[in-house]
Amino acid sequence: MQEGRALTPTQINRDLLRPILEQPKWFWPAVFVLSLIVLVGVSVAGYMINRGLGVTGLNRPVAWAFMITNFVFWIGISHAGVMLSAILRLAKAEWRRPATRAAEVLTIFALSTALTMPIMHTGRPWRAIYWLFPYDFARGVWPSVRSPLVWDPSAIMTYLTSSTLFVLIALVPDIAVLRDHTTGVAHRIYSLLSLGWQGNARQWKFQVVAGVLLSALILPVFVSVHSIVSWDFGMSVTVKAWHSTTFAPYFVIGAVHSGVSAVVFVMIILRQIYGWQDYIRKEHIDALGRLLIVVATAWFYFLCMEIIFGIYGREADELAMREMQFLQYPWNVLMIIFAGITYFLPVALWLPRTFRRNLWIMSFACISVNVGMWLERYLIIVPGLARKQVFTFTWQTYMPSWVELTLVLSTFGLVSLLLLLFSRVFPLIPLYDIKEGEFLRTSVQVGRRTVPATIRED
Amino acid sequence: MAEHAHHHQPYPDDMWVFPRRETAAQDLVSRTIAPISRYRIALIITGVLLALGVVGFIARAATDGFDDHAPWGYYMAVFSFLFMITGAAPLVAVGFRFTKSHWRRPLSRISELFAVLGVLNVLMFIPLLMVLPPLKNPEVVGHQLEIRRSIWFGGPIGSPYWWDMLGVVGLAVLGMAILWLSAMPDLAGAKLTATGFRRKLYGLLAGRWYGSKRQWNIQKAGLAMLGAFYFMFLLFVQFIVASEFGMALVPGWKDSIFPPLYTIVSFQSSLATILLVLFILRKWGGYEQYIGVSPFWSASKILFALTMLWTYHLWAFFITFWYGRLQVEQNILKYFLFESYGWVFFVNVVFSFFTPFFILLWNPVRKKAWGAPLAACFILVGTLAFNIRIFVGAFNAGHTFDHFLETVPPPAWPDLWDIFMVGGFIGGAVFIYLLAARVFPILSVWEIKEGALYQKMENFMHGRYMVLAKPE
Repeated sequence: MQEGRALTPTQINRDLLRPILEQPKWFWPAVFVLSLIVLVGVSVAGYMINRGLGVTGLNRPVAWAFMITNFVFWIGISHAGVMLSAILRLAKAEWRRPATRAAEVLTIFALSTALTMPIMHTGRPWRAIYWLFPYDFARGVWPSVRSPLVWDPSAIMTYLTSSTLFVLIALVPDIAVLRDHTTGVAHRIYSLLSLGWQGNARQWKFQVVAGVLLSALILPVFVSVHSIVSWDFGMSVTVKAWHSTTFAPYFVIGAVHSGVSAVVFVMIILRQIYGWQDYIRKEHIDALGRLLIVVATAWFYFLCMEIIFGIYGREADELAMREMQFLQYPWNVLMIIFAGITYFLPVALWLPRTFRRNLWIMSFACISVNVGMWLERYLIIVPGLARKQVFTFTWQTYMPSWVELTLVLSTFGLVSLLLLLFSRVFPLIPLYDIKEGEFLRTSVQVGRRTVPATIRED
Repeated sequence: MAEHAHHHQPYPDDMWVFPRRETAAQDLVSRTIAPISRYRIALIITGVLLALGVVGFIARAATDGFDDHAPWGYYMAVFSFLFMITGAAPLVAVGFRFTKSHWRRPLSRISELFAVLGVLNVLMFIPLLMVLPPLKNPEVVGHQLEIRRSIWFGGPIGSPYWWDMLGVVGLAVLGMAILWLSAMPDLAGAKLTATGFRRKLYGLLAGRWYGSKRQWNIQKAGLAMLGAFYFMFLLFVQFIVASEFGMALVPGWKDSIFPPLYTIVSFQSSLATILLVLFILRKWGGYEQYIGVSPFWSASKILFALTMLWTYHLWAFFITFWYGRLQVEQNILKYFLFESYGWVFFVNVVFSFFTPFFILLWNPVRKKAWGAPLAACFILVGTLAFNIRIFVGAFNAGHTFDHFLETVPPPAWPDLWDIFMVGGFIGGAVFIYLLAARVFPILSVWEIKEGALYQKMENFMHGRYMVLAKPE
């Protein structure tokens, strides 16, 4: 796992700090376009709040649709950070090094974006507070703490806090490098943020221990977040196809599937726009591709379990819902597209090594996974609700309005904008991690072959 | 006796390294051919246990026959216990070979050797098919189902019996194919020093192995492909066993997480068993120089993760049923978790989660050779309790064709024949494993030798460190 040339610390600083110290020409035009998309989204959200949820395609019984789908989708993307950073750090996987920072930052921005969706979905966002905090002691009106809708924000806020702490701790040594490479106001800000980092042995020890501890502590939070999101659905016995015991692991592994795919795509973009070919190498994309085969297959297994045991009970109302999902247009077509682009197509593309090393193919496969995973959430939420009622005359279908479409699209603009702005201020590849990898890099002579090797620290 | 690499390179005492490749092969093969006296004692004890198991089985068949599945609950529990361990064990070799983990080398063959127990699984599975109720209700009483709930739904030709059997036989064959392909280079090497019947056997099993580059490439590609196929097939067969012999027999039990939970328990218990065998070999088998602390330390982290995953899956099942408040689900919780099998569940949770969790939580304990094996002992007890709770419960849950569990049935406690069967077949499995260890070298010689090639010591900063190569 060591391709490319050996890099010196000076060269690493120069290459990875270039986007921060030298402004790329395309930066402001890109920021302008993305800001415009976000502005449109904010305006539409304002319009929806002003006019009420009637401007959306929501109805009875389909009260959850595009916005909740998008919420689950972004929560899913946020799972990449911990998967790539915490788990691979604990597993001491060498190839994690260039991917960790982008994954962690994507976690924070995806989580923040996800939070906006249910808040907007309330229609009256200022009233959301009533569901979380006690507000009328006199009448004994309390939020139901047994509701997953209360667990949700608690888990997400815990995850957001711990992920932010995780990124900050990993950023300190890199901010100190930035402090030493800047002057004026920037220097003063970076000095403040670097928390007096001097890189002595004691500071490194604390930084490493904090990183490992946070990695271990964040894992249960990471699992709890998407599990609780899944229980928003799974705890309901009235909506057929939702009350499934496998929802929690199914959602978590699905989140990892979409999140890691998103990180691969972000890494490919970073490699291309910043010219980081020496850092984000094809071997890294290859390794992530192999990881994705395993993750995708595990996800597919849970999908099969969910479907098989949906039909297994042979209950009339659930069978009617499944019949709609699999046999009626347009759901049947959507199901085929979903299964095809989320599992069969990308895994077929990830299997050959040459394809895993082709950045175009990898980008295509990763986008395909994320479109599919978005569709998956939609296909869980809407068909179940459409057939929620016992009486057939109350069955409803759903079509998204332009309001929901715009809101969903603008969230992609928001996450891209936040990533772009972050990359202008902080390095998106951890400098110290890359340097450590270079220090530990060596080789072993086996017969006539030189085999790449790593110095083992323990 | 292998000459240890310590003699030639200045390794720190606390660092385990692979033995020298020049002498490792000869030493390991000679140990296979001439085992130590403890081996013979273990063989006698487990052989007696197997005989008791057979007595228990014959007595059970003579007293209860094969018409009703209820008396066979403990037999099913011990079958499932052995099946989940032996079925998943070869995957440990396959999985860590795939991730190119060096620490796996001493435990590869130990895990692959469990494939020979596929024969026992197949033999034990036949009576279970005889007691499995048919899909169609032979006598519909009241509001009973005409066709019982089953993963075979409408029932393709030969279901459930032939398909279930095909699954278990297929898995056994695949497992043995992995073992044979992996052991081929070692058997070819062993052939050179063996004599008489053993030489003929090794010659037959090793085929035309000369160790050419092409043969090595075919062997590695074959192992990867067989491993991937084995993994998928294992998931399918475990899905069959968990659903067909557990869930389907309990009226109204619809639980999509149960097959994944079963698989997690099987991964946890198989890794635990392998670590236990590894520890026994290191401590009493004379393999200390081949089995360092590194495999225990690394595998203990995986065992810890699996322990957490077990609890997570169990929690996901519990919380969904508990929160739903449906009568059928509440009765299933009472039956399997809180009332009828409450004590067995308590043992299951304490031994499968709490005890290993608190043992494996501490890095200093994980770093010791005894840490993970100690946790493994508890896990195996917990796994047995899991299988008793689920399968004895499922086999005694009333009429399979009822719509749902209307009342909470009482627990079924074991009689003498059940105890004979449980103890006897576990002993029988150990007996067969010990016999297989007389044929195949218990450590993978070629992997140990390969590992020795990929290591060196190097000065780095102020210290001297081990360098391990990771070829692509």
